Amino acid sequence: MLSRQRAAQLVVVVVLVGVVLATAEDRKEFRFKVRKGASISVVNQYGPISVKAGARKEVLVTAILHSDKVEIDQGQSGSRITLLSHLLPGADATSGQVEYQIVVPADASVTLHSTTGPLHVEKLHGDVILESNTANVDLRDLADGHVHVKTLNGLVTLTNIVDGHVEITSLGGDVMLNAVSGPLVEVNSSSGRINYDGDFGGEGEYSLTSHTGDIEATAPGDASIDVTARSEQGKVISDFSLQPKHTSFPIRAGSAFAGTMGKAASSVRLFSFSGKIHLKKRQTN
Amino acid sequence: MTCAEFEQALPDASEGNREFEHEQHLRSCSACRSLVADLNAISQQARALQDCGDPSPRVWNSIEIALTREGIIRQPSRGELASVHRFPSRWSSAWLLPVAAALLVTAGVVRYERGPGQRVMPNAPTTTAQVASMRPEPSPDDRQLIESVALRSPAMKASYEANLQDVNSYIRDAEQSVKNNPNDEAAQQYLSNAYEQREMVYEMAEERSLP
Repeated sequence: MLSRQRAAQLVVVVVLVGVVLATAEDRKEFRFKVRKGASISVVNQYGPISVKAGARKEVLVTAILHSDKVEIDQGQSGSRITLLSHLLPGADATSGQVEYQIVVPADASVTLHSTTGPLHVEKLHGDVILESNTANVDLRDLADGHVHVKTLNGLVTLTNIVDGHVEITSLGGDVMLNAVSGPLVEVNSSSGRINYDGDFGGEGEYSLTSHTGDIEATAPGDASIDVTARSEQGKVISDFSLQPKHTSFPIRAGSAFAGTMGKAASSVRLFSFSGKIHLKKRQTN
Repeated sequence: MTCAEFEQALPDASEGNREFEHEQHLRSCSACRSLVADLNAISQQARALQDCGDPSPRVWNSIEIALTREGIIRQPSRGELASVHRFPSRWSSAWLLPVAAALLVTAGVVRYERGPGQRVMPNAPTTTAQVASMRPEPSPDDRQLIESVALRSPAMKASYEANLQDVNSYIRDAEQSVKNNPNDEAAQQYLSNAYEQREMVYEMAEERSLP
């Protein structure tokens, strides 16, 4: 009886191992030596890409290929690294998927292209350029560099981005900005919502514009801003009592307002064609 | 979100008042997109009908004659004339049912069109021609782009068509705004942004790595 049980267990184990081997994903690792100011470009149609800061002079790439219908073309020219997920005949969104985890020097510039994503980048201070079709984009803890995001319908979330030039173009994806400040923060949305929660600091220029998407901006009571807001066909609301300013900008109650707070250090423009605009005062506990 | 859930939420989810989940589902589901488009068309037609006015008395007479012939309504007898103030029950149920159904449909369409707490736009179109003119026709370049996308990735065709429609609508609104106020900074910003969006859609579609 015991031997039969053991035989049965052995058969199960052998079958399981066979199944695992048959569907095993292919894991690849690449290591590149780079100098200061390296640039890394990744083109991955299907699958997530995650980039984090690590060792100063090295780029480490771990890629998991979901099938043999995709291969990775990688190249290096000096400190310029390129990675391309090359889809082979018969590949689809499942079999063509590659998962990338990349560790780069903190001052590296990163360019990511993806259809499905998601894309994640954190703790860098080089330039970050992302293009996505429907991939969700998550950027956090970036400083100093240029951040450019273009997406058709992916959700874009930026968290703790300081001293950066931020330019987001989103057709239908919502854009969420949490603690984002810098000399320039520009969001151009069509139907996606724009949600800003920060302090409009850095004596910067903030421009949040949309076609039909609503715009909600939350700032502290002591924000120092020169704000202009207008919606052609939507409602415009401000929780703040603004100091009037001399301007040629047409003020229409309920659909436009303009004014200053504090020393008006930063310029804030909130424009929407038919979305609702709400400048909210952050509640302090 | 499933199609069933989307349809359940549809009456409260008019354009401009949709939750993020609704928008996401709409983008990914062509069946629900068609449904919303059909409802929008019905709503526009219903508004056009509101302007038609009441039919002439001859029309009502003809309907009454036809219903009498069918036996759905009948001329009251002498005895029934005595209680002329009482609404004949067969007649009321025969008439009220289609009238009630028509009212329900109209109310539902109007509610869907307006959404909760949404005011009617003063410049809202009232004719089919105006509605049709709101949706910009794809240009030859747009058609070529969509065909190119369809060849490489048929599943993305509907998505790019919708994206181009959005963008062209933005451009048209922005151009009108600039035309009305040529010196208006905001109007110029809209137009610049709208063209940037269009450029982005073309870029994404044409890049070899993306569908």
